[in-house]
Amino acid sequence: MSALAEIQPYVEAFKARPRPAEPAWLKQRRDGAMQRFAEIGWPTRKQEAWRFTDLQPLQRAPFPPALASSKVTAADLAPWLYSGAAYRIVLVDGAFAPELSIVGALPEGVWLGSTAQTLRDRPELLNTALRESDTLGAQPFVALNAALFADGFVLALEPNAVLDRAIEIVHFGRAAGQSAQLRNLVLLGTGSRAIVIETFAGEGAYWTNAVGVIAVGAGAALRHVKLQDESTAAVHLGHLRVELADRARYENFTLSLGGRLARTDIHLKFDGEGAACGLFGATLLRGDQEGTIATVVDHAAARCVTREYYKSVATDRAHGVFLGTIGVRPHAQKTDANQLSKNLLLGARAAIDAKPELEILADDVKCSHGATVGDLDETALFYLESRGIPAAEARRMLVEAFAAEVIERIEDDAGMRAHLGRHVARWLAGDIA
Amino acid sequence: MLEIKNLHARISEGREILKGVDLTVKPGEVHAIMGPNGSGKSTLAGVLSGKPGYEVTEGQVRFQGRDLLAMAADERARDGVFLAFQYPVEIPGVNNMYFLRAALNAVRKQRGESEMDAGQFLKAVRAKLKLLEIGEDLLQRGVNVGFSGGEKKRNEIFQMAMLEPKLAILDETDSGLDIDALQMVSRGINALRGPERAIVMITHYQRLLEHVVPDRVHVLSGGRIVKSGGKELALELEQTGYGAYGDAA
Repeated sequence: MSALAEIQPYVEAFKARPRPAEPAWLKQRRDGAMQRFAEIGWPTRKQEAWRFTDLQPLQRAPFPPALASSKVTAADLAPWLYSGAAYRIVLVDGAFAPELSIVGALPEGVWLGSTAQTLRDRPELLNTALRESDTLGAQPFVALNAALFADGFVLALEPNAVLDRAIEIVHFGRAAGQSAQLRNLVLLGTGSRAIVIETFAGEGAYWTNAVGVIAVGAGAALRHVKLQDESTAAVHLGHLRVELADRARYENFTLSLGGRLARTDIHLKFDGEGAACGLFGATLLRGDQEGTIATVVDHAAARCVTREYYKSVATDRAHGVFLGTIGVRPHAQKTDANQLSKNLLLGARAAIDAKPELEILADDVKCSHGATVGDLDETALFYLESRGIPAAEARRMLVEAFAAEVIERIEDDAGMRAHLGRHVARWLAGDIA
Repeated sequence: MLEIKNLHARISEGREILKGVDLTVKPGEVHAIMGPNGSGKSTLAGVLSGKPGYEVTEGQVRFQGRDLLAMAADERARDGVFLAFQYPVEIPGVNNMYFLRAALNAVRKQRGESEMDAGQFLKAVRAKLKLLEIGEDLLQRGVNVGFSGGEKKRNEIFQMAMLEPKLAILDETDSGLDIDALQMVSRGINALRGPERAIVMITHYQRLLEHVVPDRVHVLSGGRIVKSGGKELALELEQTGYGAYGDAA
């Protein structure tokens, strides 16, 4: 298909979409975003940020937004549910599923609801989530999402509100040949605190295009876990835009297991001084999966700390990509940032591209980065085998250990590590080259 | 139990190190293989345990009547061959207890025994830990991670005690041990001696043999066994050195 032909079905879908009563500003921004998407079109491999990503699975046929949700029961979701969660929002094919969600009575100062509901009851919260950058930016999928999204979730905490137990968001896809355009928002007021686990799962060949906007206020803290376990026939694009105020803390852990084509983008900006972020994750790929983690950290304020550590395993014909940029602006003195990408390449036909990048314009900073790509440690394998452990099991144990080392970087609240560990173990139960 | 005939081996794509080793070990026997540096002691241990990186160019090895060299390393271990490493490997992220239980259950399955449940396993572990004076906390760590040199060697003997192999090959187990650790390790080895089991100790020094008295002593030099004798041969070597056997050093 030509570039225009690829875009056209989405332009049509935009024109034909159902129009709920939306505020005028939103309609205007949607129009602007659609226009922007039509201008910039699909990313190409000539663009540095998309150089390693093969978009074929997304371009072979259009994925118009799903207009009705497929039937999903609590039993369908059971394998992914997190026992440590206090509240749960379930979105099926991009739309809120109240019968599967548990919201109930929320503590004082907490707003939790679907994006559609928030648009009706608290439209001012959404205003933040749809800035001009959507309509002017260079991210085609973010622009398309701004034009087409119908739902998602919104969590907003007023100053000093604290949620000690996790909020669980489950995105489930089952609409073959269609897309879920999700717009999610987390706003943490000064001194507030929350834990969010977002799970993406499903069945069949659908497209999840999720855009999350996160603003962590002064002295506030957000721990954010993403379990990307989409169907291996699906396309997953998840874009997060994170802004941190003074002394804010943001921790993101992404465990990526699913998707035929899966990409997680995190664009994080330090707006206030003395803030810190931890970006961690593990990506496990097999078959013909394509998995990308792309992070851009913008140190736009002084004395902020970045700890970034991603691991990936690629076996069979899978292809893993890590793109990591840390930028330090001239006035962002006393920046302390390090970034590490460690990768295991199992099997001669698997491939991994790792591209760590530092762009430092301040002189009083502490920054480091590194990337490694290797095979399993042969001496460790022999040690395990020399004790009678079958070769295949020994390989599994070492891959599990490789992933466990980064899972240990997240706080273990209410069994989070074990929860993620079980999903890693399930992945490992399959063949490893 | 173990029958080595005219064994020639080299480092893959490298020079020949073993140049015709002959050795027979019967059940219940403890053999010591001594020799100067570079004589091929560790190569022999590696070839017998199936360590990658070696190539057998000639000869054969039979273990309990089976062709040992045709078996993969994990298969040999399940069949009762145990190698105590000269340099035990650190494996971060693989918990010691988890590892040991996986190994023990693999070996038990091969013997036609049932898997041990957590309670039985812990009981067995505690008894053997005591023998080697290893703290239980060490087992909660990654395999050999954060262990001192002596703790690593004791952990090897502890694993051997748990797995109860038929043939134990101890590669320089005494190197780097202080006198207390040497005694603990010796106690562990002696506890394993029995009529059904054979032990091959590879060592440069005679001191381990004061604590674990061998039935037979062999001198390996230039890739061949050049002299065999009783335990008194070790004492003789202690006095005369390896000079007479072509120590290059």
